[in-house]
Amino acid sequence: MKRTLPILITFVVGVIMVGEFFIPHWRYRALTGEMLEWGIILAAGAFILGLINLVQVHLPTVVQRGTDWGYKAVLLVSLAVTLTMGFANGKERLASGMEATFSYKWIFDFVYTPLSATMFALLAFYIASAGFRAFRARNAEATLLLVAAALVMFASVPIGEGVPVIGEYLVVLKDWTLDVPNNAARRAIFIGAALGAISTGLRVILGLERSHLGGE
Amino acid sequence: MDLLAITGLLLSIFLTLAILSFLFDDNPIYKFAEHLFMGVGIGIGTIEIYYGVFQPKLILPLLEEHRLLSIFPLLLLVLLFAKVTRKHQDWARIPIAFIVAAFAGVKLTGEANGRLLEQVRASMPDLQQLYETSGWWDWDNGGAGVISGLVLVLGLCACLLHFYFSARHNRPMRTISRIGILTLMLSFGASFGFTVMGRISLAIGRAEALLGLDQPNTLIQLGSMEVHRMTATRWMTVGTLLLIIVSIAALRRRTAPDSSTS
Amino acid sequence: MLDLLIRFQNMDRRWVFLGMALAIVLPMLVPFSLPFKVDQRVQDLYDRVEALEAGDTVYISADFDPGSRPELEPFFRTHLHHLFRQDVRVVMGTLWATAPPLVKPILEDIAQEYGKEYGKDWTFLGYVEGKELAIKSLGQSVRKTYPLDDRGNKTADLAVMAGLDAMRDFDILTSVSAGFPGTQAFVLQIQGQYNLEMASACTAVSAPDYIPYYQSGQLFGLSGGMPGSAQYEKLVYASVPPEKRPRLPATSGMNVLSIGHLYIIILLLLGNLAFFLTRGGEEN
Repeated sequence: MKRTLPILITFVVGVIMVGEFFIPHWRYRALTGEMLEWGIILAAGAFILGLINLVQVHLPTVVQRGTDWGYKAVLLVSLAVTLTMGFANGKERLASGMEATFSYKWIFDFVYTPLSATMFALLAFYIASAGFRAFRARNAEATLLLVAAALVMFASVPIGEGVPVIGEYLVVLKDWTLDVPNNAARRAIFIGAALGAISTGLRVILGLERSHLGGE
Repeated sequence: MDLLAITGLLLSIFLTLAILSFLFDDNPIYKFAEHLFMGVGIGIGTIEIYYGVFQPKLILPLLEEHRLLSIFPLLLLVLLFAKVTRKHQDWARIPIAFIVAAFAGVKLTGEANGRLLEQVRASMPDLQQLYETSGWWDWDNGGAGVISGLVLVLGLCACLLHFYFSARHNRPMRTISRIGILTLMLSFGASFGFTVMGRISLAIGRAEALLGLDQPNTLIQLGSMEVHRMTATRWMTVGTLLLIIVSIAALRRRTAPDSSTS
Repeated sequence: MLDLLIRFQNMDRRWVFLGMALAIVLPMLVPFSLPFKVDQRVQDLYDRVEALEAGDTVYISADFDPGSRPELEPFFRTHLHHLFRQDVRVVMGTLWATAPPLVKPILEDIAQEYGKEYGKDWTFLGYVEGKELAIKSLGQSVRKTYPLDDRGNKTADLAVMAGLDAMRDFDILTSVSAGFPGTQAFVLQIQGQYNLEMASACTAVSAPDYIPYYQSGQLFGLSGGMPGSAQYEKLVYASVPPEKRPRLPATSGMNVLSIGHLYIIILLLLGNLAFFLTRGGEEN
């Protein structure tokens, strides 16, 4: 029962969702629309489950002053402050002018925005270092990789486009690399990925793939 | 009000530099910023989920509209939260089965229609038409023409055969496979170029923030002085940078004797 | 010389970081301007929006957050100016939890600048979780996916939504996408099924992935990363006198990007030069 019912639910829900594509009747759409709503609510629930899990993992460490308890306290306190401000500001939380007072919007603008943007900007520095240390033309494949990368980098910016005589040809070669070989390779990856996703989807719906249901 | 604006500006500069300090070395200031990022990020996600999903799709339909059908997702949600208990966690398999099946169903048709069929269809160029519009190769049209059409189809077939791992790779297959690898390398090279572009763009954004280039051209009150926001931002950046360097140096000096004794 | 090259190859990576920082900061302190061309993909996007008529409707899925702001915000802002200039009705939603505090104020400010009325000319529907399920649901009914707008009004009661429900009721769908869920999920789930006219503005990292969708006609236009945004700015503001233009962040960023790219290319060349020259020495 512990596994039979979930497998049955997987089959029924999966078949109904696949049918949506083939049966464009409004009654059938109403059924799948309702199921999509439930799915959306459950996906949101999964996020909250992650939040509960996070607190379950970190709170005991903070209480018992375990390893890195200070950082974990920062995480939990910032989480609590953001949640408090978010619920306190309610529907007005995104209203213009809210950033002028200590609010949810203020936290977003002055705490989350710089942190998030800089976290991703860090990669610019690492990619420079990686390019310098590891990107070597050791064989034909690596040389081609290097040439394509340099061409795309150079011809995509004004300094490359503007080179007298060859600049416009470099742009054409860059566009050609993107439109032809890149297109061919991506399509091959797409076709492979699509076939993989279709077979995995079928395995899940038919109950052959059960890893999401966990062990006995 | 001005004080809060200045605090905000100063805090955003500090947090930017705190993350960038990781480039020098892993340090407590970076770790602090990293955990703050996680805490605030999850908090924002939770708030938006509450106001975007739970309130309009569950709470209001149940409490105000008395929509009976909404009891089912509530029930599934309760079963999902059973996952956090050790005793009843098996019940969570039911909502998990539901959501995995729903995703599998939409993914299956989406991949088949949007990716497989459309991409295969688009990979059959009309060479006659290509010859009439662009000839063999047209420099004015991004290199369009019969040659490009053929390279596209041959490159795609070579890549697909390269991915055909279960086939025995005899000599002709090895040659085709090598063409496939070379095509893939050109594509990955282009990807690397675009990745560099993306990452530098993000660094440009942060540099603009640190230099105050994204600030409005207005004055800000700093004590008794009135200065342009851009100038104030630059002074704050320099001051905060010095503060972070001194702090990291002090922290390293404090931990150095500890590590030598251990 | 050989010794110097070996030391150069093994130098502390923090010197490379410092060089990168200088390559970005110096061109900002000493600004310069270089012309650039517009890509056909961006031109197609612009042309289609230009062809919209007053009263037409556009759905924008603003799926980005501060992590990709410098690449996508310039496009997003310019696109909104372009749409409101065309007197088009705008309905916007997002599938990214961290997007609403970023995208909503921008939409609100630009709508106000054009004297547009909330609920009649534009609306922000807020955020919905569910990724591909939410997209599938949008394909069926926007009103059901977002029963309330961001201000708590019933979406179905808004004047801007008159005659609009399923995604195919909109003239254009623009996906401003920083990753998943975004353009790719829209293309796979609903573009083909409902034959939607769809454009995408994506990060540079995603651009090579989405080019096949443009080539196959699934996207009528594509703007990739900061260069795409700069090209779009160039097209949209071509008719506006320079003194009346707002600051165009992507356009000014293009020159900095030039120096950044040049720095990486020089690093690649020097690294390879050192590798080839020292290879013999190291083998010996």
